[in-house]
Amino acid sequence: MTRAVGTALLAAVLLTAGPPHRLTAQDSQFSVRGLGVPGRWESVRARTTGGAFGPFDPRSSVADVSLADALQLTATAVEATTYRRAEIGGSRDDLRSSRFPFMSLAGPLSPRFVVGGGFATYLDRTYSIVTRDSQMVRGAYAPYTDRIASDGAVADLRFAAAARLGRWLAIGAGAHVLSGSSRQTAQRIYDDTTFLGTTQTAVVRYDGLGISGSVALDPVPAVRIVGYARTDNRLRTRLGGTETDRTDLPTTLGAALRWSPSPSARVAGTVVRRSWSDAGGFNTTSWSAGAEVGAGPSPFRFGVRGGQLPFGPGTAAPTELGVTLGAGKGFSGNRALVDLGLERLVRKGGGLTETAWTVLVGLTIRP
Amino acid sequence: MSRAAVVTAVAALIAATACTEDVTAPGHCPDFCPSGSISGVDTVLQTVVQRDSAFRGFVRPHDANALLAAFLPGAIDSRAIFRTSPIGDSLVVESGTTTMGEIVGVDSLKLAVTITRRDTSAHNLTLVYYHLPLDLDSTKTFADLAGAWTDSLRSLNVDSVYALAGHVDPLRGDSVFVDATTQYVTVIAKLDSAMAPFVPADSGKVAFGVRVVAESRASIALGSVESGIGPRLTWYAEVDSVGKDTVPRLASTSDTFDGFVFDLLSPSVDTTLDSTLAVGGMPVARSILRFVLPRAIRDSVQISRATLVLVTARPPEGVPADSFTLSAHGVLADFSAKSPLSPDASRVATTRVHIGIARGDTVRIEMADILRSWQIDTLAPTTLALRQVPEGTEFPEIRFEPSTNTSLGPALHVTYVRRFPFGKR
Repeated sequence: MTRAVGTALLAAVLLTAGPPHRLTAQDSQFSVRGLGVPGRWESVRARTTGGAFGPFDPRSSVADVSLADALQLTATAVEATTYRRAEIGGSRDDLRSSRFPFMSLAGPLSPRFVVGGGFATYLDRTYSIVTRDSQMVRGAYAPYTDRIASDGAVADLRFAAAARLGRWLAIGAGAHVLSGSSRQTAQRIYDDTTFLGTTQTAVVRYDGLGISGSVALDPVPAVRIVGYARTDNRLRTRLGGTETDRTDLPTTLGAALRWSPSPSARVAGTVVRRSWSDAGGFNTTSWSAGAEVGAGPSPFRFGVRGGQLPFGPGTAAPTELGVTLGAGKGFSGNRALVDLGLERLVRKGGGLTETAWTVLVGLTIRP
Repeated sequence: MSRAAVVTAVAALIAATACTEDVTAPGHCPDFCPSGSISGVDTVLQTVVQRDSAFRGFVRPHDANALLAAFLPGAIDSRAIFRTSPIGDSLVVESGTTTMGEIVGVDSLKLAVTITRRDTSAHNLTLVYYHLPLDLDSTKTFADLAGAWTDSLRSLNVDSVYALAGHVDPLRGDSVFVDATTQYVTVIAKLDSAMAPFVPADSGKVAFGVRVVAESRASIALGSVESGIGPRLTWYAEVDSVGKDTVPRLASTSDTFDGFVFDLLSPSVDTTLDSTLAVGGMPVARSILRFVLPRAIRDSVQISRATLVLVTARPPEGVPADSFTLSAHGVLADFSAKSPLSPDASRVATTRVHIGIARGDTVRIEMADILRSWQIDTLAPTTLALRQVPEGTEFPEIRFEPSTNTSLGPALHVTYVRRFPFGKR
C-alpha cells in the first residue's frame, strides 16, 4: 500500500507539474498554416488499434466515460518518435522528431465513480520553414535565407470523472483547460556577410476552455456503444500581455462501437466529426477500425484510420490514412505495462504528400 | 537479468536515443509557408543627424604620441623639437664604485630617434638636426624658433645609411635599424662635441630640432616620450679620475619635453573652424554628430547594416602614408566638446581615409553595431564623436559637409528587418 501511495504521488506530481515542453503529438507540414495539426488523445494501446479503441480505453482521454473502467489507480505516458518524409513539386525532405504527446492519471474514488486527468496535445504548432530569396539592397540584389520556425503546442489539460450508473450504462464528463505556448523564430541571414543576420524570437501563448461529456451503453455484454461530445470555446493567442488573435474552436461529436466476441478478441470502430470551419478550416470526419487479439499480459493490436485534416491550402481538406500495429507486455502481475506500436501515415493535400513512420512506446503503471 | 528488465531497458534505450529532431524543411510558399513573412527595408535617412558641430584642441603637439616632421611644399612645414634630461656634472669613475668624477670634456654623442611612420615612396629621406634653445615649452611656435632653423648641425640620409653594409656608416658613426615586427626605423646620428658641447651650467641638458626632407614630399612621425619611444641621447664623456687621468664614460638620457612646431603654408589647411565637420589636423579636431532616430528604428526593427555616409567638404592634404583611421565613437554623455568617449568597443566604428580623396567624395563608416547598442541601451545618448585614431599622430585634416547642408549632410543608409508579426495566424 505504501508503494502504491508513493507511486500515485509521483505520478500526480509528474502529471500536474505542467505540460512538458515537448507535449506535441506529431509534427506536420500541414501545421504551418492555420492553427496546427490536431493531436491524438490516445494511449499507445488505443493508437495501435488505429484509434478505434480510444473511446473505450480508460488510459486515453477521447471519451471521459471510459474512465469508468479504471478500477485501480493507473498512470500512463506515451513517447512517439516520428520519421517523416514530405514530398512536393519534386522535392523531398526527410524530417524526424521525438515527442511526449500524452500522459494520464486515473483512479477510482469508489467502485462506481472514477476520476482522472492528464495532458494531451490539442494542436501541434511545430515547424521550421526555410526559404531563399533576394532583395534589392544598395543597388544590387542581396540573396538571403529566411527561416521561420515555431516550436510548441497547445496542450489539453483534462479533469474528468465517470460514473457507472448500472451494469449497462455509464456516463462521463470533463473540463478542459487549453494552455500552451510556442517559441517562434524569424531569422534572416544574408549571403553577404557585411549584412548582419537578424533573429527575432517571441514566445506566443495560447489559452482556451472546453467541456466534454460522454455516455456508454452495453446493450449486451459483448457490445459497447459510446457516444461523446466536446466543445471548446476559443483559442486566444497572446504575445506578452497583448492579445494578437482569437479563434473559435470546433465542436466534436463522436460515436464508437466495440464488439468482444470472445475474452481474447475485441474489435471496434469509431467515427468523429469536428467543426473546424469555426476556426477557419475544413470540417473533418475521421474514422478508425481496429482489433485487439489475445487475453492476458501480451495482446496484439492492429488498426486502420482515415479522415481529414482541418488546415491546408486549396478548397479541399487534406486527407490522412494510417495503419497501425502494436503489442503490449505486462510485468509484475500487470502492474506495469509496456506497449509498443508502429504507425504508418500518409497525408495528402495541396500537392504535398507527407508520409511518416512513428514508433510508439507507452508505459503504464498500476501500483 | 529478467525478461522484464531487458524489455524495459530496450524501451528506455529507444526513448533515449530517439530524442533528436530535424524539423527544418524548405518552404513551398505560399501554400506551406507561414502567413507572416520577414520584411526587409533598405532606406537612406537623410536628416537623421540634426545637430552637429566641430571642436579643436583635443590633442596638442606636446602631448601627442608622435613628433610630426613634414615638408609638404605649399601645404605644411613641421619640425620635431625636444629637450633632453640633464646628466649632471659628474659621472661614476669606475664601475662598481661610488667614486664620482667631474665631466671635463665630451668625445661625442649619439642621438637616436625612432621613425614610427614614413612614406616608403619618399626616397633619400634625410633628417636634418638643429640645436635649439633650452627654453622649449608648449607655447613655442614655428615663428618663435625661426632663428634656430638657420644653421643645421648636420644631416643624415636615412636611405643611404640603410643601404650600407650592416646599415652602419663607419666613417660618420651613424646607423639605422629596422624593427622586423613593428617596422619602426631607429636612426642613430653621431654628433661631435662641437655640435653639442657639454655645458656644466646646464648639467648636460640640450635641445634639438629635427627637420625632414626627401626627393618628394616628406612626412614622417617620430616616437615621442608619450609613446615610450622618444628621442634618446648618449653622451661619451671624459671624466676626471680624481687627480690621475681622465677616463671615458657614457651616460644615456631621454627627453623631458618633446613636441613639434609647424607652419601652415597654404590657406587650404587653415585650422579655423567653420560650419563643416572637421576631424584630425593639428591641434586635433573632433566633430560631434547628434542622431535623431525614427522611433521604429530605435525600438522595434533589427538592423542588418547601417552606414554613416559623409561627404567630403575639404579633403586631407599629405602623402599616402598620412592616410588615417576615422572613427565614429559613441559617447557616454553628450557634453558637446567634452563628451566622454564610451569604452565599449561595440560603440566604435572605423574606416580608413586615404590621402587623395577629393572634395565631394563620400566616406562611409559601417555602424550597425553602434545602432544595435543604441537599441539595447535606450538611455544611451545617440551622439557620435568623429575623430582620428590615434589622435595627434597625423597632420591631415578632413572636413565633411554638415547637417545644415540638407542634400550633402551626414546621412544614414540603413538596412533593417521589420518586427515579425508573431502571434498572427
